[in-house]
Amino acid sequence: MSHHDVVVIGAGLAGLTAAVRLAEGGARVLVLAKGVGATHLSAGTIDVLGYAPERVENPGEALSRLGDGHPYGLVGTGAVAASLEWLKARVAAGSLAPYAYEGGLEENLLLPTALGVPRPSAVVPETMAGGDLRRRAPVLVVGFRAFKDFHPALLADTLRRTGTPARAAELDLVPEGRADVNSLGFARAFDDPSFRAEVGAQLIGRLRADERVAFPAVLGIADPHGAWSELERRLAHPVFEVPTLPPSVPGMRLFAILREALRRAGGRMILNSVVTGAEREGGRVGALRVRVGLREERRGCDWVVLATGGFASGGLELDSRWTARETALGLPVAGVPAPGEERFRAGYFEEHPIARAGVAVGSDLRPEGHENVLVAGATLAGAEPWREKSGDGISLATGHRAAELVLDGVRQPAAAGS
Amino acid sequence: MPNLQAEVLVIGGGATGTGVAWDAALRGFDVVLVDRADLAEGTSGRFHGLLHSGGRYVVKDPVAAAECVAENAILRRVIPDCIEDTGGLFVTTPDDDPAYGDRFLAACQDCELPAEEIEVSEALGREPRLNPGIRRAFTVPDASIDAWKTVWALARGASAHGARVLPYHRVIDLHRDGDAVTGARLRNELTGEELDIEAGFTLNASGAWAAQIARMAGIEGVDVVPGKGIMIAMNHRLVNTVINRCTMPADGDILVPIRTVSVIGTTDIRAADPDELPVTQDEVDQMLDDGERLVPGFREARALRVWAGVRPLFQDARVGEVKDTRDVSRTHAVVDHLARDGVEGLLTMSGGKLTTLRLMAQDIVDAMCAQLETDRPCRTAEVSPPIDENEEPYRLGARLRRREETLQEEQLICECELIGRRKLEEAMRRRGTANLDDIRRTLRLGMGPCQGGFCIYRATGILHGVGDLDGAEAGASLRNFLQERWKGVWPILYGDQLRQARLDDWIFQGLLDVEHLPDGEARPA
Repeated sequence: MSHHDVVVIGAGLAGLTAAVRLAEGGARVLVLAKGVGATHLSAGTIDVLGYAPERVENPGEALSRLGDGHPYGLVGTGAVAASLEWLKARVAAGSLAPYAYEGGLEENLLLPTALGVPRPSAVVPETMAGGDLRRRAPVLVVGFRAFKDFHPALLADTLRRTGTPARAAELDLVPEGRADVNSLGFARAFDDPSFRAEVGAQLIGRLRADERVAFPAVLGIADPHGAWSELERRLAHPVFEVPTLPPSVPGMRLFAILREALRRAGGRMILNSVVTGAEREGGRVGALRVRVGLREERRGCDWVVLATGGFASGGLELDSRWTARETALGLPVAGVPAPGEERFRAGYFEEHPIARAGVAVGSDLRPEGHENVLVAGATLAGAEPWREKSGDGISLATGHRAAELVLDGVRQPAAAGS
Repeated sequence: MPNLQAEVLVIGGGATGTGVAWDAALRGFDVVLVDRADLAEGTSGRFHGLLHSGGRYVVKDPVAAAECVAENAILRRVIPDCIEDTGGLFVTTPDDDPAYGDRFLAACQDCELPAEEIEVSEALGREPRLNPGIRRAFTVPDASIDAWKTVWALARGASAHGARVLPYHRVIDLHRDGDAVTGARLRNELTGEELDIEAGFTLNASGAWAAQIARMAGIEGVDVVPGKGIMIAMNHRLVNTVINRCTMPADGDILVPIRTVSVIGTTDIRAADPDELPVTQDEVDQMLDDGERLVPGFREARALRVWAGVRPLFQDARVGEVKDTRDVSRTHAVVDHLARDGVEGLLTMSGGKLTTLRLMAQDIVDAMCAQLETDRPCRTAEVSPPIDENEEPYRLGARLRRREETLQEEQLICECELIGRRKLEEAMRRRGTANLDDIRRTLRLGMGPCQGGFCIYRATGILHGVGDLDGAEAGASLRNFLQERWKGVWPILYGDQLRQARLDDWIFQGLLDVEHLPDGEARPA
């Protein structure tokens, strides 16, 4: 049986953040995950707090007002700020540098979604920042006929309705000669300078003064800074990306940067590993039971950081008799209405009674009675990530905080946490 | 001055109404069909998809059973592309009395229903997921029928014979001239415009809403008992044969494989209002338990969607109060308002079921011909409505095979239901609709496992272009679709479908922020 200082379960933003920070801090880290995490679904932005419930302009100020039951209330504003600075530094010095993130807790940018709705984000890729709709500079939205996950005319229409002058163009450039190419296919095409040159040539005569140019967030996966800055140079207009339907290219970039940072810091990641349970002694987990394909393995560890996500990622499950469970360690799930009680409301956009369900923890991120298990990310109870636009920030801040807490504990193994 | 004139006004665009319009148009009548909403949006689009062999009724309701036996054979002949010949099994589960099987077989013989007992091992060989504890099994000619395809085929057939089919035209009043109904006042539900239609004869084929229509002509006592039934679609074909419990008809005793799903049904509860059909947790739990009895492990399978339909069970006011809606006959009756109420020019279809839609239409149009003293024989048992050349009898896998031939040439917009961009754009143009839910019913867009998670943003963008909608209309259509979808999923959100719903939240609320789409007009560019 192998033994690590820390096993992190889950390879989404929370798990990777915890793992990288731990490895950098000198811990021997192993990441076990069923597959890649939700980075591949998300916009690639770090949305800290967008609505509470009105639209938030200054997330730092607004999140300090959230109660103790909210993950932000548990870790505190300082830890959120520290995690954001940490991430920006990791990306700036990362494998896709000079690709970088910008922004902070002081103000939310308002970036258009693929529907054109202004979405509040705190820290965003440099390739998206130019889309900030707090500025009214006109926008030309560029799409591709072969890309069904981005509709420029609809986006431009919504922008006009919210006060930003906008128009749309659809290019007939077809990478690989196919009618149906997804975001990753286009991102690979944009890594190729000849494709970028072709796009530039088709657009150069069509731009109006002061216009900024919006593209779907597919401007390169291997060298996004190169693709983006070259387009800006060729067009001589500001260029920005708009997130599309999954798979998310900016999310995949973030995943790649963090995975490489983990490797450089000496950590290890094994995908296709499903943690199915734990061997406990008293309040401590001594080893994890892991299913790898058809094999069962045991992995020893001093600490566990659980970051398997919520119902969307399979970290939590609700069965047909309306009982919820945490799938890796069997931790109790709080906030699930009892059978017979209302779980969901009839209006899709209403607040649903089950929405804040998750694993309840204290300010040390440990569930009661678990000395060496910390929980991070969407598995945590108390938040409504989609309504609040807070999922990325919660994952980053709690993942980072869990690592800091474990590092303290790793240095003083006798004292359990801090 | 009336805006429209017709010999025959048909009220109701479900299976009954479109069947009536097809029958009357085929006999040479000039027909207008109206529905307050889209075609098949009421009971017809909310049933389990079973083309009855008649087996379900042989013991309790032999008249209804005999009608099913005959009509099942006719429909297989005239609308073969709407039917999948799955065959059916009646099985005696460990909770059922094996002796009922003998009564069942004898009753089948009386109704000339070709039923045959087979070995349990043979039944389990055919359907390996069936409860291995079943004690008897009987084959019957059940099948599954696509209600939307059927209704649209009948509407197309009627149109080809001159009928005008007007969805989203609500009847808000019936015109009376002395003792005769002479037409109706309609409201276009999309534009709000009101118009009058003058009709020589009005056929009330509005199913569970028939009493409301009759009341507009001042006729009381047409008591339709709305019998609510819930159904749950599971995301794949747990069985490939229709499975019935071999027992007196009860709740949760039919599992119908239809297209890519299987549907468990159904409850039967008297509803106060056919427009208010809430699905309760008890009903959902009951269906899941009943499914478990037929197919062990049913609760581990993924439930896609739940809905409630409302049967139009007829109860004449002269008969006493109905306690159990299942005891009301499943046959149909033409209510002759001339004989009953002294009102000319109006007939109401009451009761009935989708399997007998052709016979129901024949009976009511025959009754109309008798009142009009004209002799025009029914031809719907011999003539097929024109078949959509793109369509063929449904076979699992056929669509995928076709799609794979053009995978490099055409965008696939709905991966679950394999809908390509050309077909989607063509349907949007043909229907001229701003409503994504209409497209859903036409093409099954967004009806697969992801429930529109991926295709609906795409379809909104395409509709915005094709339909020349402004952003506010497109956004409203998207939000309306999401709400309609939610209505059918939230009571069954557990397991993988809850996970899917959370992924869809991720897309619609996390990535697209649909909930903050602005209302209102666009400013010029």
